Amino acid sequence: MNKIVIDDMFLTTDMPTTAGSKMLEGYTSLFEAEVLTRLKAADYVIAGKTKVGEFGADLLGETCYFGAEYEGETLQYPAAAAVKSGDAKAAVVMDVNGAPRRGAAQNGLVSLKPTYGRVSRYGTIPVACSGETVGVIANNAADCRDVFTAMAGYDSKDGTSLPESMTEQGKAAVTKKNKVVVLSSMLKGTDEAVQGRIAAVTDQFTKNGIEVVVADADVVAYAGAAWNILMSAELCNNVSRYDGVKYGYRTKNYTNIDELYTNSRTEAFGEFLKSAILFGSETLSTENYKKVYDKALRVRRVIRDNMAALLADCDALLMPAASALAYSRTLVEGDKYLPYKENFFTAPASITGLPAVIAGGVQLVGNAFSEDLLLDLAELV
Amino acid sequence: MERDVLRRLCLLNQLSLTETQKDDVINFFAERDADTATLEAIDTENVERMVHVMPVLTVVREDKASQPFSREDLQAGAPETDEGYWCVPRVLE
Amino acid sequence: MKYETVIGLEVHVELATESKIFCSCSAHSFGADPNSHVCPACCGMPGMLPVVNRRVVDFGMKAGMMLNCDINRVTTFDKKSYYYPDLPGAYQTTQWFAPVAVNGRVDIETSAGKKSVRIKQIHMEEDAGKLVHDISEGTTHVDFNRTSVPLIEIVSQPDLSSAEEVEAYLVRLRTLLRYAKVAECEMAHGTMRCDVNLSVRPEGSDVLGVRTEMKNMNSIEAIKRAIEYETARHINAIENGTEVLVQETRRWDDAKGKSYAMRSKETAGDYRYFPDPNVMPVVIDDVWYETIKNSVPEFPEVKREKYIALGLTEYDAERISESIMLCECFEEASEACGNPKEVVNWITSDVMRILNAKQMTYEMLNLDNKAFGKLISLTLDGKISRANSKKILSAMFDDRAIEPEAYAEANNMLIGEQNDDLILGIVKKVVESDPKSVNDFKNGKEKALMALFGKCMKELKGNCDPQQLKVILLECING
Repeated sequence: MNKIVIDDMFLTTDMPTTAGSKMLEGYTSLFEAEVLTRLKAADYVIAGKTKVGEFGADLLGETCYFGAEYEGETLQYPAAAAVKSGDAKAAVVMDVNGAPRRGAAQNGLVSLKPTYGRVSRYGTIPVACSGETVGVIANNAADCRDVFTAMAGYDSKDGTSLPESMTEQGKAAVTKKNKVVVLSSMLKGTDEAVQGRIAAVTDQFTKNGIEVVVADADVVAYAGAAWNILMSAELCNNVSRYDGVKYGYRTKNYTNIDELYTNSRTEAFGEFLKSAILFGSETLSTENYKKVYDKALRVRRVIRDNMAALLADCDALLMPAASALAYSRTLVEGDKYLPYKENFFTAPASITGLPAVIAGGVQLVGNAFSEDLLLDLAELV
Repeated sequence: MERDVLRRLCLLNQLSLTETQKDDVINFFAERDADTATLEAIDTENVERMVHVMPVLTVVREDKASQPFSREDLQAGAPETDEGYWCVPRVLE
Repeated sequence: MKYETVIGLEVHVELATESKIFCSCSAHSFGADPNSHVCPACCGMPGMLPVVNRRVVDFGMKAGMMLNCDINRVTTFDKKSYYYPDLPGAYQTTQWFAPVAVNGRVDIETSAGKKSVRIKQIHMEEDAGKLVHDISEGTTHVDFNRTSVPLIEIVSQPDLSSAEEVEAYLVRLRTLLRYAKVAECEMAHGTMRCDVNLSVRPEGSDVLGVRTEMKNMNSIEAIKRAIEYETARHINAIENGTEVLVQETRRWDDAKGKSYAMRSKETAGDYRYFPDPNVMPVVIDDVWYETIKNSVPEFPEVKREKYIALGLTEYDAERISESIMLCECFEEASEACGNPKEVVNWITSDVMRILNAKQMTYEMLNLDNKAFGKLISLTLDGKISRANSKKILSAMFDDRAIEPEAYAEANNMLIGEQNDDLILGIVKKVVESDPKSVNDFKNGKEKALMALFGKCMKELKGNCDPQQLKVILLECING
């Protein structure tokens, strides 16, 4: 049976959608995410929802109001855990800034973050709309491909959805080069286990006749800093709707509208989310807009151009998905803002909208529309 | 970051922080500011901003009205409603 | 010392579309049940994505063309953030970086002469909801029907200097936007709203005084009163030091005839504009641009001159060109009947009388103008009596589908090829029954003939060419 689990970021009409936040505890949507409608039509059965960090904003998934999931002393990504345990054939996930990719890498699973716009975001909790995509985690590339095929395609309800003609053209332009480039600048700060995975995957490719070369691309290493700005600003704006007025959590402690707003938000939002909101807000202030937010938008283009140039003669850029394959409780709890550092590895694909595949604990970022080719590579790992 | 900048930011975003949280956020901002400063190394002099990563343009729909959702359903989870309205404490204008 | 007032206006106009700007809810919110035109997006629920209503861009462009603006061929949408209960997402999607139209001009004329008011820009945006404060004590009721109804905001340069000029400017804007059929522009319905930015300085000075912004004026008259009040307040503050002027937003209370400073918090915010990642840039290609350009109507002055050339009096030409609906009625009916002067007579008498009786504005005129022209032709040709034509016209106001000739025939109002014998029979009967009138007429009393004529017409139920009847009647009396 095609049993799948979904991140608690997809709106469902038959169960609540909380986005891991007290703010939306018990909130049930009046409409369903487009991807779920498509998956059901393709005979997938939704077995349940998996926990996420609050509003998916935390790459490690630790800030879930309903409790972080630990496997022993190791932080676990619930969607990946459900696939690994065999509870579900695949997990449909919200890749806001790479949490599912990191989770898949930790568990030796395969994950696809498709090209931005190939899968409808209609009915997903919006966080960082300019880069977030619906993704998949599965045991192997074939299952990933099946789920992706069932849910991908144009949706007129999502203004950023790619028209079929553009997708067909884009796919036709992808040619196989049998070459992968390792970005040395992205190895910064990785532990031995991660470096070991990179070496192992390199060997595996070489054995299969794929040339692996090392290149410097310093610009890509700035993706994390730039994406943190864009993501936080969009997040700040997207979660401003949760104010205790229309639905969701309302404080009991108010005498006027400002107290209603402030106390509802203060009581319902976690500490990490609050920091992200405040930082995002500040990047957009009149004083900072030009030198922070607008700068990040321009850096985004430089990074995208740079990666496109590298990808012009290779199939994928090989890089880690995280600095470590797993995170201990001590590490996570010792650095509240660790997710903002770990974004370094997942941000290149998030900020550019390029597709990425996780396999063998490493990350392959490809040309737009090269999902098939990336999954082919994943099969070799 | 100055404390009064943080105070203004909290007002603007309808949040309040404990003193410890304020210290944390100030440290967080310091880290982020350092990150942001690194971006200055990238020359963006003649680079256009990139808001949308895919070149889709002019996504428009026909001007047709429909009403598939009922007020009752929309207000089912509302903290406070009255006579078909959402309610908030009296707003002074 | 003499002072001059410097005024710039921000005019919000609701566009007359069927649906809202980013979702498919009905845009006709005026008078509807609270929250009956809302969807999850309108009440700030997560998950729906904005898709731009094409007609909003059509109308934004057309408004820009009416106001002599340059059209931005790539126009984009941005988010503006602030908290207020009428704003369900705590952000408004508007145009900050690349508004649809820029650098325009509106020409006005007042007792002070002609003047060009520069338009800084026109941007498209979504309206906010409505707050109701008087249902119960201590509670504000929120209605999101108006949320996301499309608006254009027309921002003028500070080129206006009096209440009279502001009135002329607003009337002109209203006429032009109604001409373009993009908006109702009814201040009483809130489909046209105006914020006034005003400062005062010594005449001849090139330094601007402290500027205040006034909101909440619900009619042009209220705007004029608010400007007079605010100007006096500024001058008093400058001359007598009655208060210290500060840059602020003030609320006009028309009943009290005073303006009050609004809560400072709402205006002190930083709106943190940024480009909306969910709305792709709208590129106006040549085909789209030309289609809209071609739909832009002639300006009122052009029509007036054309009408005068057709032989209308200046007065009538002015009256007709006041409204695009009257213009269309006049032009289409004239084309159908070939007699513009007759058409204008019918419009200024019958049409205006019926509109008045039905308490309809010119903009509500919904006649089939070609059929109206046909009705005039039939009447001029003597196929329908003038009295009956009025009845038919009245019926045509209620039912656009009425075809005058068929309607006249079905209601025995059509004057066929009347045979003289039938008329003669009736005339003889009338003449025989009223010898006194016949004698009176023969003795020189002209009025007696009219009495006989009237009786005949009544017998004929009006279905007779008056000229034909008069000839037969005279023949009969005179033997």
